[in-house]
Amino acid sequence: MGAMRFARIRDKVCAGEPLDREDGLALFRHPNLIELGQLANEVRERRHGQRTYFNRNMHINATNVCLASCRFCSFARTKPGDEGAYTMSLDEAWGRLRKRLAAGDPITEIHIVNGLNDGLPFSYYTELLAGLKRLAPAVHLKAFTAVEIHFFAQHFGMAVPVVLQRLRAAGLDSLPGGGAEIFAERVRRKICADKCDAEQWLDVHRTAHGMGLRSNCTMLYGHIETDEERVDHLLALRALQEETGGFQCFIPLAFHPEDNDLSRLPAPTGVEDLRTFAVARLLLHNIPHIKAYWVMLGLKTAQTAQWFGADDLDGTVQEERIYHMAGADTPERLEVRELVHLIEQAGRVPAERDTLYNVLAEGEALRSSRPYRRPKPLRQEVEA
Amino acid sequence: MKTRLRLAAVPFLSARPLIYGIESGVLANELDLIVDSPQGCVSLLTSGDADLALLPSVCLRTLLLDPGLDLRIVPGVATVRTTSMHASDDEPLLGPLPGSVSDWCEQHGLPFVSALWVGRNGAAGWQHAELLAQSRDFGLAHLPDIAAAQAKHKAGFAARYQAFLASSMTYRLGAQELSGLAALLDQLGRAEGSTVSVRPRFFDLAYTSTCEPAAARPRRERGGAAKSLDTLLAAAAAGERLAPDQALRLYTKAPLLDLGRAADERRQALHPGNVVTYIIDRNVNYTNLCVTACKFCNFFRPRKSPEAHTLSRLELAHKFSETVAMGGIQILLQGGVNPDLPLTYYEDLFRWTKSNFPLALHALSPEEISFISRLENLPIRRVLERLVAAGLDSVPGGGAEILDDEIRRRISPLKCSTDTWLAVMREAHALGLRTTATMVFGFGETPEHIVAHLDKLRALQDRTSGFTAFICWPFQAEGTRMRLADDTTAGRYLRVFALSRLYLDNFPNLQVSWPTMGPAIGQVALRFGGNDFGSAMIEENVVSQAGAVWMLSAEDIERQVRAAGFVPRRRNMRYELLAHPVAPPSATHTPPERRPATSAPAGAVSPTSPSTPARSLW
Repeated sequence: MGAMRFARIRDKVCAGEPLDREDGLALFRHPNLIELGQLANEVRERRHGQRTYFNRNMHINATNVCLASCRFCSFARTKPGDEGAYTMSLDEAWGRLRKRLAAGDPITEIHIVNGLNDGLPFSYYTELLAGLKRLAPAVHLKAFTAVEIHFFAQHFGMAVPVVLQRLRAAGLDSLPGGGAEIFAERVRRKICADKCDAEQWLDVHRTAHGMGLRSNCTMLYGHIETDEERVDHLLALRALQEETGGFQCFIPLAFHPEDNDLSRLPAPTGVEDLRTFAVARLLLHNIPHIKAYWVMLGLKTAQTAQWFGADDLDGTVQEERIYHMAGADTPERLEVRELVHLIEQAGRVPAERDTLYNVLAEGEALRSSRPYRRPKPLRQEVEA
Repeated sequence: MKTRLRLAAVPFLSARPLIYGIESGVLANELDLIVDSPQGCVSLLTSGDADLALLPSVCLRTLLLDPGLDLRIVPGVATVRTTSMHASDDEPLLGPLPGSVSDWCEQHGLPFVSALWVGRNGAAGWQHAELLAQSRDFGLAHLPDIAAAQAKHKAGFAARYQAFLASSMTYRLGAQELSGLAALLDQLGRAEGSTVSVRPRFFDLAYTSTCEPAAARPRRERGGAAKSLDTLLAAAAAGERLAPDQALRLYTKAPLLDLGRAADERRQALHPGNVVTYIIDRNVNYTNLCVTACKFCNFFRPRKSPEAHTLSRLELAHKFSETVAMGGIQILLQGGVNPDLPLTYYEDLFRWTKSNFPLALHALSPEEISFISRLENLPIRRVLERLVAAGLDSVPGGGAEILDDEIRRRISPLKCSTDTWLAVMREAHALGLRTTATMVFGFGETPEHIVAHLDKLRALQDRTSGFTAFICWPFQAEGTRMRLADDTTAGRYLRVFALSRLYLDNFPNLQVSWPTMGPAIGQVALRFGGNDFGSAMIEENVVSQAGAVWMLSAEDIERQVRAAGFVPRRRNMRYELLAHPVAPPSATHTPPERRPATSAPAGAVSPTSPSTPARSLW
């Protein structure tokens, strides 16, 4: 890209004008990574100053039995009897939370994402939520991707609004942003033919936003998609946000090639990760937050992403299965002091948030009185 | 000692700037000069009628190999064809070599040293070297006069001559130039069917002299110390030398990306071809028995340990032949500091290696060399000379950690001091050995310590130009006896790295440390000043014992380099580009043995060992 083009984009960004498709493409192809990062960082600092957000959360992946056979997935098993297939009993799932509560862990959010398991009744999901709410009424339940909601609607013969209402009545507070992958039909046919299409995904979020539920959004990058398809994906998210304003946060998800049908593809590299963050920050002017999901990126890249547009590092996370089964070599959880350290070492100010981005504690208040010690390394168990 | 020095020099236009100060009488009362043909100059030198001669590099090899002459090079000064020369200034190589100068530069990725001052050992002292540098500086200040004289003497336009002297030539014998000279001498040898490597040595000057070139002297700050960070960064990006206090300000105050961008610009200026290099070599630790017992080390075993082990010839032969089979060209051989191994052990080992394997020996860090010197009660220089005679090719820059004795006493009390580390490097450089330099941070040092470390390296490099590259990495703490506050995350690495690129203006190459930082940050560091991706490692034992578990094949490295927007090329230790044996990668990528494309099993000794989960916390 010529210096002229970049200068024009810079002017638009400084004036707060939305960038167009051509701008997006130019940014994905801009050779000067640091220049790109600087511009994204300007936007990031304008919006969030030196703050980097995180929360105290846990993950529950209640079942990995899944009707869909997405080629990038290492988590799903197609049948209950398959090796490594599991479905938690409700008590098991609740037990995960009980364990955290017993340990005195002040989590504020539970993130629930599952396979599309046709062997479970709808009551499994409502009871899952209701049980968790009973155990911890103040904990925010961010549960079920648009793909799952769409599946519930089809499988249980209900309209999407009804599904959402019933889940909400059981305790649902917001939706995670997964399952968006890449909206382009060409790509979905090849990598996730069984998943709902772009319109259906967007429609679930539109409906949720209309009911006053907030949600996040994602993009799975670094597999077979083109720059154009990435830009179009981001613009589709931006258009819905223009309409509803319901997205809180965008999370770029890097494709992990371990143990899935696309293992022949190389994983995206660090430079590509940082570039994606920067472009997303610049294109998605109406989505407040860009999250560097450390589980997927690795701690070092997540830390660096704070200079390339990201203002959120997700949370403490426990028991993440999906990325770890795809070969993520990150620990399964971080202590708050580790997240604080990671953020402060990037020269940012850590801010603990709740799911809706209310700041609960900030800066000094998050420092423990003890000096930082690197904790003993976790020997993670990755199932073969 | 003679009061007047008798000089002989070739009459070429390109050499004129070096002798103009003498010719024009400014320095003539101390130096006599005869201008003659190359053959004439050689005769004057060999007959003893000249003390020093400015000779074309293509006629040097035979002279350097003559033990009766024992020739030495005057440091710092030479005529050099730059890689960015104007096309119309290109000319055929002299001597037995095919192609033109620009072909040569492109092929080797190094500048072409066309002429330099040589003389018999002892013929010149530091004051002479200084005079020759002064003459050079005088000539550079009078390029228009030189060009005008040439235009008068021969047909042609003065402006044309001046442009040639100013833009197609440089006149410093720096680190890349030394590499270019060594590459040329080897090539000349091959053209004659000889495999004997010539290692040009310098005059044994007092290294406290001030004979470094003017361009390398610190510039005085105009307008006091109140330069803004932006001005400072712009100046550093343009190649201006940073003073220690300026570096400290940048390190503590400049935003990370601003620092990175300045370093990226500097890298681009130093390596305009967009090439990122890597080497295929193998890290072999011949012994893990070590009496230095550094607190941060997880590799060593004390003498009494049942796990203390020195590799047998059989084990070494196996590792070396594997290396050759995988396209490796070098062994990075380091211990353990093992008191049971005398100098003869190394001499025998090197000779055996050299007679059995086509591998370069990048061996023995300063700590090991200084230990052998104490063990054998021999001067460091003598130890190095004997190792060189046995086959040592270059010296790795390990064990520098932080060059500050207070910190060294705390973390590695038995390791050599700052002065000893630097002294070994100085001696090695004087013998014509090239070395690397390192820094390991995260030992609770202050930013001042980091800048002081860089300053010590830069000062020595000003005098010797012997360092080829700088490599830094954060201390890897896992399992070691040190429980330090971890201050070594990616942001700090990139900051230290970018600052190093800006501060070490006389270091041509900066290597990223993917084995400790992981491929992602290693790759990102290429945009923070790095121009070398290190080694496609076949084996690594030390940092992998302390939590760093990455392993990349040559194919992985090339992919990382390309994805960052660079052209990957293989190199040797002196950063000469090598012919590319690998075909460009196909559209699809097959991760070898289903291991992660970006990571590898802990403690792996071969890239094909079965996969266990890789782990990288920080």
